[in-house]
Amino acid sequence: MAELQGLGAALSEAEKAGVEIVAVSPDPNEHSQLLAERLRLGYRFVADPDLAVTRRYGLVHARGGEHGEDVPRPTTVVLDRAGVVRWLWVSDNFQVRPDPNEVLRAVRAL
Amino acid sequence: MRSGWLAALSLLVSAGAIAAYALLLRVAAVRNHPEGYVAAFAIAATLAGLAVALGRRWYAWTALVLTLVLLLGGATFNFVLARIPVSPSNLHVGSPPPDFTLPDAGGRSVSLADYRGKKPVVLVFYRGYW
Repeated sequence: MAELQGLGAALSEAEKAGVEIVAVSPDPNEHSQLLAERLRLGYRFVADPDLAVTRRYGLVHARGGEHGEDVPRPTTVVLDRAGVVRWLWVSDNFQVRPDPNEVLRAVRAL
Repeated sequence: MRSGWLAALSLLVSAGAIAAYALLLRVAAVRNHPEGYVAAFAIAATLAGLAVALGRRWYAWTALVLTLVLLLGGATFNFVLARIPVSPSNLHVGSPPPDFTLPDAGGRSVSLADYRGKKPVVLVFYRGYW
């Protein structure tokens, strides 16, 4: 969630209206959605419980979970209006998340 | 006496590094430089080593053992356990990613295609609650 909170705080209201933030995780998303609403973040949380989509994207960290289960590799992608990747950040250390200001810069550069 | 002060300082540096990292985890500059706490433990272990050199007291040895354990543990965690092995992804700047349809929290379907031609999208893959 760290990356999501930072991003929501960095975006202005107008920018939040002009861009859709789609957050994919294996979690059932009721909790995330409640948290987003409490933090007033306009996110769409979608659930990928078996990591099928995450796997298709090549973003699985094999056996990286607390109990040796597969988990997503923290990744942030900026897509332009045409649906083309314009900016990409993939983590190589699970403690590290993209700097919200860098994501913001990529969004403003569209 | 100087040995005691150095031992205390070494423990203070360790505790400070742990507290700062835990409390400032939401600050991107802190979160994204976990090697910072490893460096702090290395400084603390050096101070404890100096404390032992100045006076071979039990507290100096205690500080040295504690800070070395923190340094080894922190370095192993950050440089080995927290590493994610590099694997090729299907994402490339300049190309569209594969489309998907997944349910949102309200049970409605969300597709990347819904936004094509309408809105830019920030797509975030995250691990869940953190």
